[in-house]
Amino acid sequence: MTQLALRVENIWKEYRIRHRMEDPQGSFKSILNAPFNRLMGKSGKYTHLEQSEIFIALRDISFNMEVGESVGLIGRNGAGKSTLLKILSRIARPSKGKITLYQRTNSLLEVGTGFNAELSGRENVYLNGSFLGMKTSEINRKFDEIVAFSEIERFIDTPVKYYSSGMYLRLAFSVAVNLTPELLVVDEALAVGDAGFQHKSLAKMKELLGSGATIILVSHNDHAIRDICKRAIWLDKGVIRMDGSSADVVDRYVKFVNGEIS
Amino acid sequence: MSIIKKENTFAPIVITPPASLELPDFRELWEYRGLLFFLIWRDLKLRFQQTVIGFLWILLQPLILMLIFYVVLGILVKVPTGDIPYHLFFLSAFVVWQFFVQIVNNSSFSLVGNIGVITKSYFPRLVLPLSTIFSGLVDFMVSLIALLFFIAINGNHPIGPRYLLIPVLLILTALFASGVGLLFGALMVIYRDMKNLLGFIMMIWMYASPIMYPASLAPEKYRFLFYINPLTSLIDSYRWVFLRQGELPSIGYLSLSFIVAAIIWFAGAITFRAMENKIVDVM
Repeated sequence: MTQLALRVENIWKEYRIRHRMEDPQGSFKSILNAPFNRLMGKSGKYTHLEQSEIFIALRDISFNMEVGESVGLIGRNGAGKSTLLKILSRIARPSKGKITLYQRTNSLLEVGTGFNAELSGRENVYLNGSFLGMKTSEINRKFDEIVAFSEIERFIDTPVKYYSSGMYLRLAFSVAVNLTPELLVVDEALAVGDAGFQHKSLAKMKELLGSGATIILVSHNDHAIRDICKRAIWLDKGVIRMDGSSADVVDRYVKFVNGEIS
Repeated sequence: MSIIKKENTFAPIVITPPASLELPDFRELWEYRGLLFFLIWRDLKLRFQQTVIGFLWILLQPLILMLIFYVVLGILVKVPTGDIPYHLFFLSAFVVWQFFVQIVNNSSFSLVGNIGVITKSYFPRLVLPLSTIFSGLVDFMVSLIALLFFIAINGNHPIGPRYLLIPVLLILTALFASGVGLLFGALMVIYRDMKNLLGFIMMIWMYASPIMYPASLAPEKYRFLFYINPLTSLIDSYRWVFLRQGELPSIGYLSLSFIVAAIIWFAGAITFRAMENKIVDVM
């Protein structure tokens, strides 16, 4: 019997866009400027109201995922991928709708969240792990494994500012890799660094899938999605354009990007 | 199979639009106590990195200010402080003020100053301002050493069981400071001018509190104005503990202060929770 990992019900996300962001509503500057604007014949202190508009980043998004499923979110820049990713990661809240996470969820939007250059590698592992939602006991248990994976045993108590960028990335990545989520929300943008690194991260995701985890991968790299995900969801201008097998969806998406279909 | 078993112990998480009034989730804060601990640790480590200088700086700050105010107000202006030497009068309140202002300042910047981690990971945002209380406490302990040193030299106010009241007063001060800091921190998300205003507000607040002068300096009929400021009563209570000046604060008064501080804290926490959702959308 299949079990639900995630239920997304009618999610909307609206942003209020102000066209003069340097002059936010009620700021001292706007209060002080108001009389001068009036003298100069400008419309006065209510300009900001006329200049804000609602931008709808996500419109009525609904889908379900089953345990062990791998879904790729694909779409152009501004299609709403990142917004949906942020909502699934509980970083932003939806304007309408409801999401239910039935599994223990971890999100990876970047490597090395919360890393501080002055702190040692060891301290950063604990800090970063905590930001990613790991319990201290869990980090204790996995610490040796994390350090071994990063291959910087000798420098683990050295401040990270003395690391080469490669060492820094390896350590940050090792923490992320040692997360054991049931449901992983992951941004492809995190596959930074060299080709070896990207290969490692893809291999790790496949390994997680093999062990029965559920994965949502956000990417505009059609190869990564075809490679890892069985199912793909194509977002376009905030709506689901297509939801189906990754081969079909990616195929259509590539045609769309190349201008063969509209 | 193992995943399905684990799932039985996992309560599903429901993500919904923010309600207009959200209370702090203490159970979740407890789950993230590890993060709280490492945030406190990070702060202390970074400040004590150059151990000797870091420690000395915390000690020097109140001492230098004590010297300035001692010369200006104690010797030149001759502010009347009864039978208590001016430097003790000043320092006994200033260490409290320092504790207060440090929590307010650091909590105020906890949302806008941590935008990097806020937009990249989920955790109860309240751990950020809460962690500042503990580093404020460390600074207070260091300043307390300086104060106790001068009290010991003076010799007129031996340490006694009165000092048992200090933890109670510290909890009250921290609760009040944290509440004010949460409010400012929330305001800073929408009003960026708060960043510049905060310094002035805290300076005015310091001059409006009887730290460098006694409240009795004001005419009798206006004196109640000082007591609108909850810090005034708190400072009086600390001065009673350190210098046996004034009277022992009553249990009734302390409970009332606690209720007022708690109300302010919850008001701050609710506003903060509303703004923690907003900050991700405006950044």
